Amino acid sequence: MKRRFSIGALALIVAFAVLPVTGLFAATPADQLIIGMSMNNLLSLDPASATGLDVAMVNANLYDMLLELDPTSPSTMLPAVAESWKVAPDGQTITFVIRKGIKFQSGNPLTADDVAWSLRRVLKLNMSLASAWKVYGFSKDTADESFKAVDPYTFVVKMPKPTDPKLILFNLGSSPSAFILDSKKVLENQKNNDMGNAWLTTNAAGSGPFKLDDWRAKDALIMSRFDGYWRAPSKLRRVILRHMTESQSMRLMIEKGDIDVAYGMTVADINALKDNKDISVEAIKKGTLYYVAVSMRDPKYSNIKVRQAIRLLIDYEGINKTIMPNYGFFHQRPIQAGLPATLPDQGYKLDVAAAKKLLAEAGYPNGFKTVINVLSDLPYINIATSLQATLAQGGIQAEVISGTGNQVYGYMRERKFEIIVGRGGGGSIPHPDSNLRSMVYNPDNSDAAKLDNLQGWRTSFYNEEINTLIDKALLEKDEKAQLAMYRRVQELYEQEAAPIFTVSQMIDTSVLRGDIENFATSPSSTTRFREVFKKR
Amino acid sequence: MKSKSINLAALAIHVARRLGVIALTIFGLLLLTFLIGRVMPIDPVLSVVGPDADRSTYDQVYKQMGLDRPLYVQFGIYVNDLLHGNLGKALLTGHPITEDIKRVFPATMELATVAILLGILVGVPLGVFAATRHGRLGDHVVRVLSLFGYSTPIFWFGLMGLLIFYAKLGWVGGAGRMDIAFDGLMKSKTGFVLIDAIAAGEWEIFFSALRHIVLPACILGLHSTAYISRMTRSFMLAQLSQEYILTARVKGLSERRVIWGHAFKNILVQLLTIIALIYGNLLEGAVLIETVFAWPGFGSYLTGGLLLGDMNAVMGCVLVIGLIFVALNLLADALYQVFDPRTKS
Repeated sequence: MKRRFSIGALALIVAFAVLPVTGLFAATPADQLIIGMSMNNLLSLDPASATGLDVAMVNANLYDMLLELDPTSPSTMLPAVAESWKVAPDGQTITFVIRKGIKFQSGNPLTADDVAWSLRRVLKLNMSLASAWKVYGFSKDTADESFKAVDPYTFVVKMPKPTDPKLILFNLGSSPSAFILDSKKVLENQKNNDMGNAWLTTNAAGSGPFKLDDWRAKDALIMSRFDGYWRAPSKLRRVILRHMTESQSMRLMIEKGDIDVAYGMTVADINALKDNKDISVEAIKKGTLYYVAVSMRDPKYSNIKVRQAIRLLIDYEGINKTIMPNYGFFHQRPIQAGLPATLPDQGYKLDVAAAKKLLAEAGYPNGFKTVINVLSDLPYINIATSLQATLAQGGIQAEVISGTGNQVYGYMRERKFEIIVGRGGGGSIPHPDSNLRSMVYNPDNSDAAKLDNLQGWRTSFYNEEINTLIDKALLEKDEKAQLAMYRRVQELYEQEAAPIFTVSQMIDTSVLRGDIENFATSPSSTTRFREVFKKR
Repeated sequence: MKSKSINLAALAIHVARRLGVIALTIFGLLLLTFLIGRVMPIDPVLSVVGPDADRSTYDQVYKQMGLDRPLYVQFGIYVNDLLHGNLGKALLTGHPITEDIKRVFPATMELATVAILLGILVGVPLGVFAATRHGRLGDHVVRVLSLFGYSTPIFWFGLMGLLIFYAKLGWVGGAGRMDIAFDGLMKSKTGFVLIDAIAAGEWEIFFSALRHIVLPACILGLHSTAYISRMTRSFMLAQLSQEYILTARVKGLSERRVIWGHAFKNILVQLLTIIALIYGNLLEGAVLIETVFAWPGFGSYLTGGLLLGDMNAVMGCVLVIGLIFVALNLLADALYQVFDPRTKS
């Protein structure tokens, strides 16, 4: 017995002694970029139906767009597949000149027909990303007229209803629906007239700098360099996305150099790496907003004084100082910060005394009970916990119920909630309409309207003047007049104590090894790796 | 001749009964899972279309997924497809679920098998050791270690293991099944990376995979070891207090023969049951270890399906788990007959 133990123990010691010698060096290869991130939301690669920010990043490297937004200056549009474009004097038609000589990874030439087909496809399939166009009046019925190839190298967009052409250009440069597909290749693989929807779920047909080698869901996605790329081929031979959800594991791996980039690390782990000279932390502002939303369908919150009280029972400073570092920055307006139209923050603070007075005036001198629905992830759950504590100071007893995004936003879509802590409000385009259309606009508050993609409808907020101003501002060609309208919307929104209270604006934080060059996270999530290389 | 045909008929009836029970069990499992999936507040349509899709897209996808049909029709279609070998398509991957399970199950089986082997090789001798030193220092040490191993959160063990053995000492690989640079370079034939690497003669990949599996397998094995050693100790103590053991000692048999030749043989059947159950639990997928080590296994796949409301994937996994436990029970029953001749009747 003793001898067996000794032999067994000796064998284990030898095994562990040998193993380190048999292993490879930890550093990743110089020509491969390894990214650790959660792939939980990577469900489909089809540009017409793929939701989530992660897939936008993947597809931005497999495909091209007509134009691109400069990641360092998002309102600057750069030519890509379109070498130039012209907006008609009436502002309702945009003509693009397609660059000659671009080939898809299949070898097929990229022409205006592919551009038109790709965009029409988004509307005809009417999957999730069609919303990006339907909001401007595009539909499957108007798709053929709206997107036309006049000749192989001229593509025309005709707006079905008057709108600001800048928004269409921004969409074409940032929406995950605007990637250009190899129509011939896709149609070869279509089944049951699905326009390739099933095939594109797990395959790609692009002209981008990388081609898809393999995608194992919740494991790894491997892309390799496309040597026939119309710009100079990438210095990277492969880009590998590795599914990782545990922040501490990512931290250890990036410290060891086993991954080059980490997305989704917690604040504590990012802070622990701040003094590491081999690691840099990059934070990019995005146009999405963190908010506390109340439902005006609930009798309590239909009372403006109660909403004003709730607005004063949020600890904006405390939340942004202790919870939001690396997640968001202080912001209180319904339009993203940094745009000319955005007014300065109102400066709301936690004011329990004022809130109690308002509640008493509203007929709730002893407060009331309520429910907060919140995503169980960070930072939402921490914001909800803070809110619960400050509501309690005002006499409001809040129960916090956490759930998945599916559950929480499901309640919101059904208008079956009291308070939600969430994130949204559009913002993918650097234009006030992007936020206001998603967060404030509500043309029809009836249940039958089922405008469940609009947060204004979800919160049962209806203001005709605001709706009219948003519609008018979109078409206003005089910049000063347009700015004045957007500012008036924000003033009215504040006066109404509208039910979505912005708490913070999103920051996307990535952690990089120090030898990575030219890595620029895009505010619209279309982060491209073609210029990235390792300084070794 | 007559008795032979009676025996065959009896065997046929026995097998038919068993198969019937198994089929009923699986059917019940699937029905229950299906109903739970329809009741729980996770909307699979929202998982597909995203939270900002408009009503027309939502309704379109709702119909495409067949959710507008009555529940009994949905279940009937599922069972019909199942009988034709079609488990449906996963929301998470867009792939047929059978393909997904073929990919993720070997990853978990590889991990679980190494873990259970460690558990048996270390846990059984430890348990016997503790039982033979009942009340003495050796027994106490083993009991405390077992308690520690079993009650310490496995998540914590995983992170500590990564910190010490991977980050500080560099003895083992980090997350994943192999070094990332090797990913995609070897075609997977069986899904078992260690076996595929040996078969392909890819020794660098083999050793890389070995370095990556050793830590998660040891941690899972530690958990199993703790439980197996405690149960082995209990079973052995019960045997060592029996009169036949005293008789064996009085007869002059060596202590080794008394323990391993007599007492241990009599606990094999009970131990087998425990090991089968533990192995079954490991094969369900250790989600926490899979999360810490980014191990693309069955547990993560099942959990991901649950959180998305992808009931096809969940039911496919439930079916696999049900079949695993059935198979393990059958195996255990067969092995009882080997280890305990009394069960042959």
